Amino acid sequence: MEKLARYHEFAESLALLDDEEMRFEYILDLAKRHRNDPFPERWMRPEYAMHGCMSKVWIVDQPSEDKHFFRGHSDAAIVNGLVAMMTESFSGLTGAELSALTLDHIRKLNLGALTTQRQVGMMAMLKHLQKLGARSPQALEGTGR
Amino acid sequence: MNAPAKAEAARQNYAYDVEAVRADFPILSRTVYGKKLVYLDNGASAQKPQAVIDCVRRCYEEEYSNVHRGAHYLSGLATDNYEAARGKVARLINAGSEDEIIFTHNATEAINLVAASYGRTFIGEGDEIVISEMEHHANIVPWQLLADEKGVVVRIAPIDDDGNFLIDEFEKLLNSRTKLVALTHCSNVLGTVTPVREITRLAHANGTPVLIDGAQGVVHGPVDVRALDVDFYVFTGHKLYGPSGIGVLYGKMAILRGMPPYQGGGDMIERVTFEKTTYKEPPHRFEAGTPPIVQAIGLGAAIDYVRALGIESIAAHEHELLVYANERLGEIDRVRFYGTAPGKAAIISFLVEGIHPLDVATILDREGVAVRVGKHCADPLMDRLGVEGTLRASIGLYNTRRDIDTLVAATRKAIEKLG
Repeated sequence: MEKLARYHEFAESLALLDDEEMRFEYILDLAKRHRNDPFPERWMRPEYAMHGCMSKVWIVDQPSEDKHFFRGHSDAAIVNGLVAMMTESFSGLTGAELSALTLDHIRKLNLGALTTQRQVGMMAMLKHLQKLGARSPQALEGTGR
Repeated sequence: MNAPAKAEAARQNYAYDVEAVRADFPILSRTVYGKKLVYLDNGASAQKPQAVIDCVRRCYEEEYSNVHRGAHYLSGLATDNYEAARGKVARLINAGSEDEIIFTHNATEAINLVAASYGRTFIGEGDEIVISEMEHHANIVPWQLLADEKGVVVRIAPIDDDGNFLIDEFEKLLNSRTKLVALTHCSNVLGTVTPVREITRLAHANGTPVLIDGAQGVVHGPVDVRALDVDFYVFTGHKLYGPSGIGVLYGKMAILRGMPPYQGGGDMIERVTFEKTTYKEPPHRFEAGTPPIVQAIGLGAAIDYVRALGIESIAAHEHELLVYANERLGEIDRVRFYGTAPGKAAIISFLVEGIHPLDVATILDREGVAVRVGKHCADPLMDRLGVEGTLRASIGLYNTRRDIDTLVAATRKAIEKLG
């Protein structure tokens, strides 16, 4: 699968929508679609938590060879949808490829329908994925693999 | 007529033209996401009337200079205006003297000033400070810092499940080691109004001074520091329809005189030599450096504004909306209220069962309704309530039944979309 394929799908879908109201509805649909995604309780632990969020967010890295595959969850439905967007978008990349992502990747998602604070949260989430992607394979032992 | 009777009379007879009031607040005519703004986040910060905006602009355009130090016309004018604002604050809370009013940058700084100056001087190892379960972090952390530094013990007065302050339990905490009581006047989460007069009576009988955090209290009703017999009372300007960056510490002069400076610098000294420096009398002893001049003057304009409307009339208007909001929101089966103490102020904390408050707040925001969501800088209270956070609609002097109707409709929409 082409790298960043899901990311481009999200970006194109959001770009096709006419206005912020429709983009907000898209985000709500995303929230509904992902609200029942399974996320094991054993991953809802402090070591997988992303700090600084108004809701609880957990992100787990399940690396395979040199690529990183992320799973995530939030106790707030809309944030959970956004976590799904981020983890799907940026899974399958190497640590180096993750570190090459910039905040422009978030800006290009055209998430103006979200509050500025939430967009900042998306940027923080990208940085969190980059931080996870930068860890050495040894450091990943005992994580959510 | 005593204060409660006057307030009740105001409730029953008030004539309050809220549409005329709204016309004084330019921001209320704007839209967000194409929807009419419904501003119910007054507990975090209130909007500003045109009179305050004009005052601040006039200060900078026509009357600005530094204060207390110039021999020129503008410095004299700015000093007069700044000191006049101090007088307005003193009259608002019925302080015995303008000199008992210290300007700070916010309520948090005012509490930190007391902790750093009074606390370090008069409270020592093994001594106790009593706060409550429903304090804002601003009235918790400064005392914890003091506890860490001096070995002071912070004790916690409990509330019940409805948010009532338990005065009998509070009384049991008072003992010979209690050196300060520091309590909220009105909970920023629950709206509970504490029985300040009874608190000061009990504390003073124990020989203990009382600090009251009035950040919310001064907004929602009349305050008379002498009738309440508080030793310190703090509040902030931006919640009282004034500018941000200005806070107030009231202290009884006999206590202030015994307190050392909080910060050192210009404007707070009598004479500086390399050998010895002497300090001014209060309040200037506690106002080091250039103060928030325009912000203080703007606060004076805000005080003029709310006093012209009538503080009891405002309280009556807010109470009427509180009752209406409780009725209307209560019609939604899944709404759970937090804080139902009798006599509470117009601050409504609630949750919608089964939906994260952040999700509800996001839908409300899209409908143009501004509320606060989260822990409200009151983590220990959230733990006491057993919740991660709440939604908080805090009513101000310009809110209407129409605003409440929009809040209720938007809450129903959140349930429809995410429930």
